[in-house]
Amino acid sequence: MESQIKKIHQQLVSKQITCTALVQEKLDLLKQNTYNSVNSLLDSTALDLAAKVDAKIANNEKIGLLEGIPFGIKDVYMVQGTYTTASSDLLKKYKSPYTATAIQKLLDAGAIPLVKENCDSFGHGSSSENTVFGAVKNAVNPELVAGGSSGGSAVNVAKEYTAFSIGGDTGGSIRQPAGYNNIYGLKPTYGKISRYGLMAYASSTDCVGPLAKSIEDIRIVLNVMSGKDVKDQTSYNSKEINENDILKNNVKTVGYFKNFIESEAIDASVKADFLASIEKIKAAGIEVKELDFFKSDILVSTYYTLAMAETASNLSRLDGTNYGDRIEGENLKDTYSITRSKNFSEESKRRIVGGNQVLSQGFSDEIYLKGLELRDHISANFNKDFSEVDVILSPVTPSAPPKIGDSLKDPHAMYLSDAYTVGFSLGQLPTLTVPQGTVTGLQITAAKNNDELVLKFANFLKETI
Amino acid sequence: MSKIMTVDILSSIKGAQPSEAVNKLFEVIKNANPTNNNSLNNFNNNCVSINNLREDVVIESSAIEKQLIIENFPSKKNGYLVVAKVIED
Repeated sequence: MESQIKKIHQQLVSKQITCTALVQEKLDLLKQNTYNSVNSLLDSTALDLAAKVDAKIANNEKIGLLEGIPFGIKDVYMVQGTYTTASSDLLKKYKSPYTATAIQKLLDAGAIPLVKENCDSFGHGSSSENTVFGAVKNAVNPELVAGGSSGGSAVNVAKEYTAFSIGGDTGGSIRQPAGYNNIYGLKPTYGKISRYGLMAYASSTDCVGPLAKSIEDIRIVLNVMSGKDVKDQTSYNSKEINENDILKNNVKTVGYFKNFIESEAIDASVKADFLASIEKIKAAGIEVKELDFFKSDILVSTYYTLAMAETASNLSRLDGTNYGDRIEGENLKDTYSITRSKNFSEESKRRIVGGNQVLSQGFSDEIYLKGLELRDHISANFNKDFSEVDVILSPVTPSAPPKIGDSLKDPHAMYLSDAYTVGFSLGQLPTLTVPQGTVTGLQITAAKNNDELVLKFANFLKETI
Repeated sequence: MSKIMTVDILSSIKGAQPSEAVNKLFEVIKNANPTNNNSLNNFNNNCVSINNLREDVVIESSAIEKQLIIENFPSKKNGYLVVAKVIED
């Protein structure tokens, strides 16, 4: 199977390239790049690690598949001793005291981290423009946004500055930039990968996941990062997904949400391309069912209500007392409010304020609690759907990526552009973006804990459409 | 507790105001009708079994972790970590 990781591994083992030369080449590319995909480079650590891999190969010692493979990390993950800024002014000089579990597992497997990648500040955005490091430019057309919030990660993978990158997905932040930059991006089942060391945005939907150029690389990295972690009590043990297990398709029934495709918001070309893909799937002998689902505005509003409530709570710790850019005021409360008002972006403030609105007395019953109730109905709907179909196929976004600058002008339009990704986050379902089918790709979703089926169907689609 | 807490105080953000873009989202929730009255089973409660809790033990941080935590502290003076004076009101 096509795999950048296996290709590099083979080149290292056969001594076609040295790990040091490979890492240096990628660091140079990252340093010179004009896409604003980099927040900081981990150059000295990366070159030290590369030299160790080269020494092993020179001694004819066996190296693991991920050993020496250069990768990128969204700048919301703790990596001990590195700047972890969340693309914010508040944490611009913050250094991680410890390393996230998912990243530590990759380090233990010998992968080499090159870069902390630009993203929307604290994951708050769908375009990677809400960042103090400059808007990330799309890898295909630099006049367009890279998508978000894991925009820098998607661009680095698309431009092959990294073999793979680790993003974070709360409402579509891996899947949408993957679609915008024509690569693969997986949001695994919630809990499959530990969230320990990922800066919390909305804890009930936050997921760690890989972005890569092949399904095989997604599988390899997913296997390494998965598993129960005592430091994240929502994580669980899962079975390793073998290469052979995803080769042969056994999906018999595919569903799609009729209202997504009949919506007025969808571009005519996205609709036509999606329906053409459906026809090809039918022609391959697979049954396709139209499914009923919640209206897009309900999905988006439910997601944002809950995500804002959670982020207001999670980000309340950021007050400049123990870390971050403290701006002194006349007293303690004044210090908190000046620090937060000067250091949070407009979008982060909008979400924190929105979260506190819905959690406050008088509002929580008619908005927040109702949002929780709606979420239960959405999950129930998914349970019903997966008793009738094996996977659900959807577009990733209703339209092509916007021009840089347009999303910031209209935040409400930006929220609505997440209509096709947020529902699967609320359902905590495994969903993969594949760079096929529409201008921003397709999403494949399966029932909880069935990440294997998602990869299997992606392999099938690769040959079918 | 009769005091009205405005969103700028609740959020500890000077001058913060509710936004129109976000209020539009909340209006949709207010007007939504969940489809039926069946009692649902809280699908998204990520509960942890009490038989599966992590051990209640203190884990000592490494020396480098402690050093980085101190390094991150915003203000230091004469070997002490400086915090704002606590106020009463």
